Amino acid sequence: MTPFEGLLFFYIMGLMLLPGVILGLLGRPLKIYGLIFTAVMLTIVFYENGQLLLLCGFYVWQIVLCLGFSRVKNKTKTIFRAAVVLSLLPLLAVKLSAVFPELRLLQLLGISYMTFRAVQVLIDIYDGRTEKPRLLELSYFLLFFPSAAAGPIDRYRRFLGDINRTPGKEEYCELLRRGFWRLMTGAFSGIAVSGIIWAYWLEPLPGGGFMAGLSYMYGYTLYLYFNFAGYSSMAIGTAYILGVRLPENFNKPFLSADMKDFWARWHISLSTWLRDYVYTRFVMGSLKAKRFKNKRTASYIGYIITFAAMGAWHGLSPNYLIYGAYHALLMCVNEALDLHYKSMRKFKQGAVSRVLMAVVTFHFVSFGLLIFSGRLV
Amino acid sequence: MQTEITEIICGICGAEDGELEPDLELFDAGLLDSFAVVQMLVEFEGRLGISLDIETLRREDISTPAKIIGLLGGVA
Repeated sequence: MTPFEGLLFFYIMGLMLLPGVILGLLGRPLKIYGLIFTAVMLTIVFYENGQLLLLCGFYVWQIVLCLGFSRVKNKTKTIFRAAVVLSLLPLLAVKLSAVFPELRLLQLLGISYMTFRAVQVLIDIYDGRTEKPRLLELSYFLLFFPSAAAGPIDRYRRFLGDINRTPGKEEYCELLRRGFWRLMTGAFSGIAVSGIIWAYWLEPLPGGGFMAGLSYMYGYTLYLYFNFAGYSSMAIGTAYILGVRLPENFNKPFLSADMKDFWARWHISLSTWLRDYVYTRFVMGSLKAKRFKNKRTASYIGYIITFAAMGAWHGLSPNYLIYGAYHALLMCVNEALDLHYKSMRKFKQGAVSRVLMAVVTFHFVSFGLLIFSGRLV
Repeated sequence: MQTEITEIICGICGAEDGELEPDLELFDAGLLDSFAVVQMLVEFEGRLGISLDIETLRREDISTPAKIIGLLGGVA
């Protein structure tokens, strides 16, 4: 069983959400019921997939790491790095198993998303933003069902703020209305529209040939957008019903005026996670330590590291790694053009030139997604 | 301090004279990006001794020169 797919899933989830809706409408706290909902839904989905034991092992591993690290008195950089590496190990094992056929048994739905949430908690503890996480709250955050399989990737302290606050009856009615709307529109986009594109555009296309490849590039870009944006919308809608305002993941990405703009609009929760925890940390460390003669070098190398991580996070097969490298290159070129041609800034603000830039950016993005799709390599 | 903050913002944004109105949307105008934000925070820390936590900083908190000045005024 896959979350947000199939009538049976929606039937079970609808039934499971009902007590939460009643509690919300009565103005009662939703935290404990949300935890129960998450535990039951995860058990059903992962038991069906045969991954329940692996999920339990993964959960215990991450909980022990986060709680253990929070209790270390002298949190040195070495201990912190070791904790992050250990947290990433299960993800690495799963990604490697996808590349090497003999290890294919090791699969865990949503591990990329759940791992990034665990790593984020470790970083927050190291930075002093979070002191001692509580077991139940941490478990709820790491495994929160609506976003467990495919995000959006929430932030720990923001999440805590939501679950520890009981919305009033009126506020909950608004959350419920918005949540239901997001579930419906998400299902329309993620199931109906993307399904039609897949069945009537992508599937009938021949495997080879330039024109078929070009058509696949456009079709796949639209398919992925409607599918993923729809999925995110369904996750956000379900979370609203449980009183949690998950962050948005998409903001009209095909209107982007350049690649930097695109990454502020596409898979936002992942790109901001990487920006805050990889790019910014590297650049800030480099600027403070004066690692490079030219400050911009820190930014270029920051982009290379960030997008290499983004590619590897999706998977270790060549298409994902090349996809990461491709976007690193585009971001570096984008930054260099902005830096050397100051007039670009004003050019992008003109009404006609903005449309032109959006068309150009769309094509760079679409070619990237063609690489991502695995049709080229 | 306000003059020094404005100097830092101008230097980071590479803004032309008179371009930096207090309510100018710096991200929309293409004057601030991820790198410029980091650079600005390092400058604030080095020159003014004010540290801001980038992870909790939202774009809308620092989207105009007036907001940045207000934010730093509140922290200092």
